[in-house]
Amino acid sequence: MVSAGEDTYLAMIMPSESLSPIALPAIPKLGVGLLFQDELQSFIERHRSHFDFLEVIPDLFWTDTGPGQTPRYLENSSTTRALRHLHQESPIVLHSIGLSIGSAHRFDREHVAQIARWHDWLKFPWHSDHLAFMLAQHVVGEVNAGVTMPLPCDQESLDLLVPRIAEIRSRVAAPFLLENNVYFFKYADQKFEEADFLNRLCELSGCRLLLDLHNLHTNCRNHHTDPYKFLEKLNLDHVVEIHVAGGLEHEGFYQDAHSGPSPEAVWKLLDWVLPQCANVGGVVFELLGSWFVDVGEERLRAQLSRMKELWARHQPALRPGVAA
Amino acid sequence: MSQQAFQQTLTRLVIDPEFRDAFRAAAGKHNVTAGEGELTILERKRLESILDDRGLDATRTLHKSFRLTKLYAALPLTRRLIPTARLAELVGAFWKAHPPVSHYFIDEAIAFCDFVQGRVGAGLRSKYLTEIVAYERANLILRRPQNAKVREPVQVEFQHDPMILFEQLTSGKTPRAVAGCKCTLQGSIDEAGEVKWELLS
Repeated sequence: MVSAGEDTYLAMIMPSESLSPIALPAIPKLGVGLLFQDELQSFIERHRSHFDFLEVIPDLFWTDTGPGQTPRYLENSSTTRALRHLHQESPIVLHSIGLSIGSAHRFDREHVAQIARWHDWLKFPWHSDHLAFMLAQHVVGEVNAGVTMPLPCDQESLDLLVPRIAEIRSRVAAPFLLENNVYFFKYADQKFEEADFLNRLCELSGCRLLLDLHNLHTNCRNHHTDPYKFLEKLNLDHVVEIHVAGGLEHEGFYQDAHSGPSPEAVWKLLDWVLPQCANVGGVVFELLGSWFVDVGEERLRAQLSRMKELWARHQPALRPGVAA
Repeated sequence: MSQQAFQQTLTRLVIDPEFRDAFRAAAGKHNVTAGEGELTILERKRLESILDDRGLDATRTLHKSFRLTKLYAALPLTRRLIPTARLAELVGAFWKAHPPVSHYFIDEAIAFCDFVQGRVGAGLRSKYLTEIVAYERANLILRRPQNAKVREPVQVEFQHDPMILFEQLTSGKTPRAVAGCKCTLQGSIDEAGEVKWELLS
């Protein structure tokens, strides 16, 4: 059931054939994934049995020369060669950092076109970005904060996001996911609670969720809230991918640093939520490459093994790679 | 428009401590924004309520880490050559003059090299700095992705023995009494796409 206001969104989602969402295949059950980082390349080559697919940050495989530049994206031939090789061995999904979908001053259609080109090449089963803005106007032009800045959970943010997601869905023939964000401050007087906001966003736009359990853990730990209450309110049918990671304490805040093994609280969240996510296609472990030396191969293998054990226990009906 | 003004103002609160002070001073009095456009009452309330929030400090710390990592990774010799306190002063002055514009390491590091060279031209004195910054800048210019298939070689003039300088800096030592040696290094891109350097004279 949709309200009159929501009818407007539906009209924006499908106003014409050119903006119609492309018919998509079912989400495949890929299993356990690992975020690709240069420093992990040797580990990835030698331990393929420890994961079922790879997630890559496409923005690290090209250089963005800026809006309106020709060519806008300069692809690094040696790293894309490596990616082509990896793709022969494992399914790949994209997790971009460059869209800044929440930026009010512009929507980056050139970025969406670049993702579409990569979909033609890699045929990834889904792709994702962050529910945030990093780019903003400045007196000198455009600045990149380098931090995923939170959007207020209110109607104005929905008004901004929903037509943009519709456009992405019409241009890239794969489900589009947004990741719940980390925030270290909270906006006053938000209209919706975060879980409610995410539910509405998915219902109105057709996007799906990348549920980052470590982000959730980080927010709840810093703001003294209950992650299970958040998850109970969230429509878990929208979840297509889950992230787990580790972090660290700094200046009185727990930081989502991707710096090591997942804390026990995140494993408990995964154990609780995974059986309830009927449409989930994969769980990905994120480790920043610069921390790999500290973490070591053995502990990384242990994280992946634990994920595989949970996946096998909670998603037993479908083997990795079998379509839902 | 107010959404843009809100994001612009919030971002500036994170990246620019002086603007944060000015915004705090005007809180409740003037409708200060970082650019054009008015904030709504709610947007203004949201921004004022986080002005002294430690979460805003934590966000700024992340922002600074993001920027510092770029210089740290891209300029390993320069950062070892400049004493920590002076490096902090230079980086702070650079950030004040150059807001962050890109995800990418290379452009920001080249801009920092230009900034340091400008400071040298304005009287900053640090032995070996001119040649080390010029070398790392040239290295970045060669590594910077370009559309051109053929790249021109880049030459760097040294006044001191570059091999001794590189060896001492990469081993974490502060260079001392490096022998004078006027020479030119030429950098180019080899067939594998890697930067290679050769001594010309």
